Amino acid sequence: MRRKRQSGPIEQIEIGLFALNLTADERSTLLGFVDQLNEVIASPADDPRVRRLFPTAYHDNPEHDAEYQGFMREELAQSRRASIDTVRSVLVSDEPMTEAQLYSFMTVLNSLRLVLGTLLDVDEGEDLDLIPEDSPAFGQAQLYEYLGWLLEWTVSALSGE
Amino acid sequence: MTQVADPDLIEKIDEEVEQDKPWIVLVWNDPINLMSYVSFVFQKLFGYSKEKADELMLDVHEKGRAVVSSGPRERAELDVFRLHEHGLWATMQQDS
Repeated sequence: MRRKRQSGPIEQIEIGLFALNLTADERSTLLGFVDQLNEVIASPADDPRVRRLFPTAYHDNPEHDAEYQGFMREELAQSRRASIDTVRSVLVSDEPMTEAQLYSFMTVLNSLRLVLGTLLDVDEGEDLDLIPEDSPAFGQAQLYEYLGWLLEWTVSALSGE
Repeated sequence: MTQVADPDLIEKIDEEVEQDKPWIVLVWNDPINLMSYVSFVFQKLFGYSKEKADELMLDVHEKGRAVVSSGPRERAELDVFRLHEHGLWATMQQDS
């Protein structure tokens, strides 16, 4: 018999169905950040946070890249907005998530981490724990760590681990 | 007697050869994406085994970049798009 895993934030309750064990506070915090992500997506293209979400495709050919961005950029924005809509509906619902919904949850968590990580200027090997509590970046760093923790759980759940 | 080849024709053939060269899709290291996430995305998008995906992910992490797929230009563009959808830092270029 398989031992039941201690329940985490994401829990598989049956094949293809997952419970999201988050408090009302966590849900409303995430909803707020998801709304901000929507705004970032609509920001001008030269914003560094936007650049990280819409990277260059042809790094050695600006002409090809301009062409690529011309027809793919809006499609990418649309795909991100669709995932955000899914996550909004998941966060305000008590119903379990389907695998597809959890997958959208994963990509949105990752987008949020990318935006926050860019704002925090995260570097390899840098220790965010060293940010002092009175620094304006402290709250962002806490949230960044929290999103990483939640994303790890999401990836494990989707991997069937 | 040998005939001097038409330079226009040579250029045209060169272009065609150029177009036939496969495109490669690269994923670049970034300090934000989680290793477990990157490996999972490689498995999902390309159907790679966990072992193969982990190997590619470690290549990205340690060598700064890895080739994750290759093929015709349209195929490579689609792969780049799907990687961007997942927040990975992907670019494409023609194999040299």
